[in-house]
Amino acid sequence: MAQQNVSISGSGKIGGGDYGNVRISGAGKVEGDLTAEEIRISGSGKVMGTAKAREITVSGAGRFTGSVEAKSFQASGACAVEGDLKTGELRCSGSQRISGALSAHYVRCSGTLKVGKNVESDVFTSSGRFNIEGLLSADRVEINLVGESRAGEIGGEKIEVRAGSGFNLQISLARGFRMGFSGGSLHTNVVEGDDIYLEATRADVVRGVDVRIGPGCRIGRVEYSGTLEIHEDAEVKEQVKA
Amino acid sequence: MTEEVIAKKEVLEHTGISYGQLYRWKRKGLIPEAWFVHRATVTGQETFFPREKILARIAQIQAMKEDKSLDEMAELLSPEASEEGSKWDDPTRLRAVGSEAKTLLWKPSGYTFRELVGLAAGGEAMRSGVSRPEAELLVHVVRVEDELLRNPAGAVAILAEKHIEREGLSLRVPFVVLARDPIKLDSQSRMKHSSDLERLVEQVKLGLGEVR
Repeated sequence: MAQQNVSISGSGKIGGGDYGNVRISGAGKVEGDLTAEEIRISGSGKVMGTAKAREITVSGAGRFTGSVEAKSFQASGACAVEGDLKTGELRCSGSQRISGALSAHYVRCSGTLKVGKNVESDVFTSSGRFNIEGLLSADRVEINLVGESRAGEIGGEKIEVRAGSGFNLQISLARGFRMGFSGGSLHTNVVEGDDIYLEATRADVVRGVDVRIGPGCRIGRVEYSGTLEIHEDAEVKEQVKA
Repeated sequence: MTEEVIAKKEVLEHTGISYGQLYRWKRKGLIPEAWFVHRATVTGQETFFPREKILARIAQIQAMKEDKSLDEMAELLSPEASEEGSKWDDPTRLRAVGSEAKTLLWKPSGYTFRELVGLAAGGEAMRSGVSRPEAELLVHVVRVEDELLRNPAGAVAILAEKHIEREGLSLRVPFVVLARDPIKLDSQSRMKHSSDLERLVEQVKLGLGEVR
């Protein structure tokens, strides 16, 4: 069963349907639900409907008006998914907006990521900025802060938040905070996990087993059942051992 | 009627599971999203669960996880993912449906998942003394429902009877209401039987897992 390959390199429109490889390098539009082996958008592409493919790559400007499902999804340009995105692997180094929920096995984001609902992944790593309205849940959450990031809640097994890469030495980081300069910050309501390390984080509640509150944090309340360490340049209003 | 709730950290204490496991199971759909109830408390935002349901579910997962993968368990437990394509020929073999439902069958084979849940509701009703025609009404209302069976958290099917008296005429009309708890009936109506669809969906799923 050989499916048709399509390539739009000028300006063009195709109907939805089942294709082999779809390449848009000019300005292209797919009108309808699209199923393909591979979707590559390097110009400006718009899919008016849902999209399903093994591999989706967006390096220009891509827009999907429905939900998207792909084994691997790579965005290095500006990409918007107006429904949910379900993928094995999401790599975004550009600007990625998802109006619905994101569910993946692996998320690696070094650009900006905006998600309207929850983010669920086995592994979530970010060295960019993100804004997640709902819950960010992953077995492993690794965040290297750049600029301001936000999540409604964060929950998982191992959660590690480090302030900007420019300050690898603890001493200079602490001094940096005292001078009112920071590499980045994270705002969230609740952080829950078994093993938590936070820097430059503002949260109402942190609940966990082993919790380390690093420099630059301002936490309302920490509840822990194992161990708790608080850095001298962190502020914790209340701590409770369960 | 309010259900007794339990805070998330008490769940962890009670069952010995970790935050990581709880979040993982939630992601896999083993614990329905609808059970996570966020409430503001004096100590900040906390998550609560319906106590009986969550403890039973975790015990179930812990018992199954020795020989089943998370994905296999999700297929069995997750109420959101109902098994559409497949059909079953012998509903009464399922414990949830039971032999009482034999008289409720309306075709020789090819029962869908929703129809099985309908039969399970009917069978259960008959076991608790509901008459066959009324149980049949229940079966046929439940089996055509889609949305509630797909996401059955808190869903119930109520078999009730409306008593109408007018000009010397006295009528009792049985009817079925499908909705999520809580449900209010008017004063002329009396509830005769209530089926917990969430539990029935789960029992049918588990039953199918055993039969297969």
